[in-house]
Amino acid sequence: MGPSNKKRVGFKDISRPGDEPLVSMDVKDLMAVPYLEDEPPMQPTPQRFIEKYEMSLDGHCSIGIPKPKTKEEEDFFVRRFLSGLQKLLNSEDSWTFQQVLRLSMDYCVKCQTCSDACHSYLASGRQEIYRPTYRSEILRRIWKKYFTPEGKLLGSFVGADVDVNWRTVTRLAEAGHRCTLCRRCAQRCPMGVDNAIIARELRKLFSQELGIAPMEILEKGCVQHIRVGSSTGMSPSGLKEAVEFMEEDIGDRIGKSVKIPVDKKGADILLIHNAGEFLSWPENPEAFAILFEAAGISWTLSSEPVAYDAVNYGLWNDDVELARVAVRHTQVAKKLGVKKVVIGECGHATKAYVVIADRVLTGDLSTSEIPRESCLPLLWEIIRSGAIKFDPSRNNFPVTLHDPCNMVRAMGIVQPQRLALKAIAPQFREMTPNGVYNYCCGGGSGYAIIQSYNFPQWRNKVGARMKMKQTLEAFKNELDPNRYPFKYLCAPCSNCKGTIRDAITHYNLWERYKINYGGLVELMVNAMVDIDRPFIEYDDFH
Amino acid sequence: MGSAVSFLGYFSVAVFIFMVMYRFTKFNSMPLHLRWELYPLPLEPKHHYGGSFMEELDYVSKPRHHIRINGILDMASEVFLLKKVKEYNRYGMWPFSFAMHWGIYLVCLWVLLLLVEVIFDWGAIYSVTNVVGTVAVFIGAFGSLGLLLKRIGNDEIKAYTAPVDYFNLLFMLAIFGAGIIGLFTGQPFQSFFVDARTSIAGAVSFQPTAVPFWTALHFLLFELFLLYMPFSRLFHYVAKYFTFDKIYWDDILNVKGSSIDKKITSQLSYKLTWAGPHIVPGKTWAEEVEIADAREGKEEYPFTGFPDTLLKKS
Repeated sequence: MGPSNKKRVGFKDISRPGDEPLVSMDVKDLMAVPYLEDEPPMQPTPQRFIEKYEMSLDGHCSIGIPKPKTKEEEDFFVRRFLSGLQKLLNSEDSWTFQQVLRLSMDYCVKCQTCSDACHSYLASGRQEIYRPTYRSEILRRIWKKYFTPEGKLLGSFVGADVDVNWRTVTRLAEAGHRCTLCRRCAQRCPMGVDNAIIARELRKLFSQELGIAPMEILEKGCVQHIRVGSSTGMSPSGLKEAVEFMEEDIGDRIGKSVKIPVDKKGADILLIHNAGEFLSWPENPEAFAILFEAAGISWTLSSEPVAYDAVNYGLWNDDVELARVAVRHTQVAKKLGVKKVVIGECGHATKAYVVIADRVLTGDLSTSEIPRESCLPLLWEIIRSGAIKFDPSRNNFPVTLHDPCNMVRAMGIVQPQRLALKAIAPQFREMTPNGVYNYCCGGGSGYAIIQSYNFPQWRNKVGARMKMKQTLEAFKNELDPNRYPFKYLCAPCSNCKGTIRDAITHYNLWERYKINYGGLVELMVNAMVDIDRPFIEYDDFH
Repeated sequence: MGSAVSFLGYFSVAVFIFMVMYRFTKFNSMPLHLRWELYPLPLEPKHHYGGSFMEELDYVSKPRHHIRINGILDMASEVFLLKKVKEYNRYGMWPFSFAMHWGIYLVCLWVLLLLVEVIFDWGAIYSVTNVVGTVAVFIGAFGSLGLLLKRIGNDEIKAYTAPVDYFNLLFMLAIFGAGIIGLFTGQPFQSFFVDARTSIAGAVSFQPTAVPFWTALHFLLFELFLLYMPFSRLFHYVAKYFTFDKIYWDDILNVKGSSIDKKITSQLSYKLTWAGPHIVPGKTWAEEVEIADAREGKEEYPFTGFPDTLLKKS
């Protein structure tokens, strides 16, 4: 059933004047989540935001587009949006996804078979604006109206009936950021239409033509990554300090000294982590270092700018930034003379570098010359080969697995993490659905890192709602915190972890049910026979 | 009307074939896109659980193979059974969509059988041809009428339906409806088949013969449909080959010196005209990649106010 206050939102509403949002949600409108009787209420949109920024899509905002003050500024939005839309379907400006986008724009038959695939649409109580086809259809109708002969000739008969004014543009910019690009809807489309690529290309239009993107993704993301060395703002000297800290911390945690190799020429593997791990979850790169040393793997980190941070936020909205980062990563790998690059537990970074960059990197930088892999097969190989001895009884608590969309649905890496968990976690159970049919964590496509304005509320309430429901259902027989004082949601992806951390905090699942989260490597080190103490800190939630 | 139907038949088939080839070539000549595969990928040997070659260590240096038959079977299950609509569509569209699609397939088959009968004077398939024709118009009408009513009656579907979508369904309903009326005209379930053969025979021999109105209308509408289809969204059956086989199932790695490598290298020489502040318009992709920050020395656009810099640039 839909939300109680649902009024039908049409396509033309995207252009309507005024600050009133197209939808306003209350907790009672949202999808019910079991075992969550008293969740925090929705906070109203702060008036100071309404006065200054575009908030009229759903009362939330990820970008913070300032409202135009003059007619000239209004016209600027319209003119640039339309020129960008034209470039999206131009071979030279947008060869990267032109065919994919064009087919998805032209051949949707509007059967709505995809609708219920979307976690945000379901979690919102089926609010129309979050239906996978809603923003796609608006963009399609605008495209038809302004750029096709049939649209100009036949108008609304062929659905070419959405006008572009500045409200259309700014609302669409936000609407492009209500899809996590998880592509679950694409799996269901009988035509092969991909609403996620439409959302992604819509964002690209804003980023590449107007310079408009969430600050954390473009300005403090890609641009900072290339300019400073990391999207976190960490400089090469900061990386060295982080490495020193981790080496000390490893000593404290396991009572053994482990040296983390940096810039080791000729190593077999260049390991690149999402640099957010160094700051938020240093135990994760520490666990990699412990495992790799114990398994006798020849590896190194890089201290070269860009190459000590695996993230590539261009994946979500910007082909130019995507290419800039991927090329720099590979140039460093080439310089170090490594046999291959392995990406740590970060889904988007893995897909961006292993899959998407495959057709950006050419000649000496191509895949055949510098192979690039996910870390998950290597982690399973460490267990399978017997290179390290593990005692599964050390992980004798309930464990479930979140499948990062980018590594599973978009790369088909399904089994290694499962085989690893089955080998080292005796109480491992799947959540439902799982594998390639999993639901997104709710933080995909950069939402995990967007902390500005009131966007975190949308992410927690709508984006991550389905994942919290799945998590609670996976642990439903062990929720009692007294009998089961520790439960672990394994999410081998930095962005997923960031989302899950915030959602667990929002719904109070640590305090109430003792549900914690973390990566796969932490569980592996926790079960290592050669380490005489737990690696996981059972009382710590961070 | 008989001669119009006959000559339009040749014209519509010619245009249809030309447009299929034209559209196919046009889709095929678009630039090579970045990899955008989606799992489960039917060609993959690990398809049964959605796995891929990227689950393997050192997969780049390992031999790979695709199971093409799985792709064909997967595509066939979509084309002939509309598997995903059946499994996932919550609006109950599958029975109607299934019937409408099979109505079109069978009408095409019916016309082919009639041609075979007439050209090869092969009366042995007479009964089969009649059954195919009869089933085609009934299930086609059931399907297109059902979809029409669904689109009118369900607010959620209706919101996404443009007038042209109703027109498409009405068009198909008219083809099937004319056939049904034809079936009941003259001697029910007899005259129509005789007239249909007469019409096809006249077209084949370039000696058009007048046939009753509803029979002629049925063929005329079908021919107009062939003319119209390549210009409409109904052409999705060709697009589908690309969306699946050339996009979702395209997982071929780039190898130095390969045809992919050459194509991408060539595409990296395309020039960009994007106007974003971090991009330098007029540079090629290859040049653009080397630029660290196009805004060095420029005023920034940090969302603290309206982008004056951009406004001046535009």
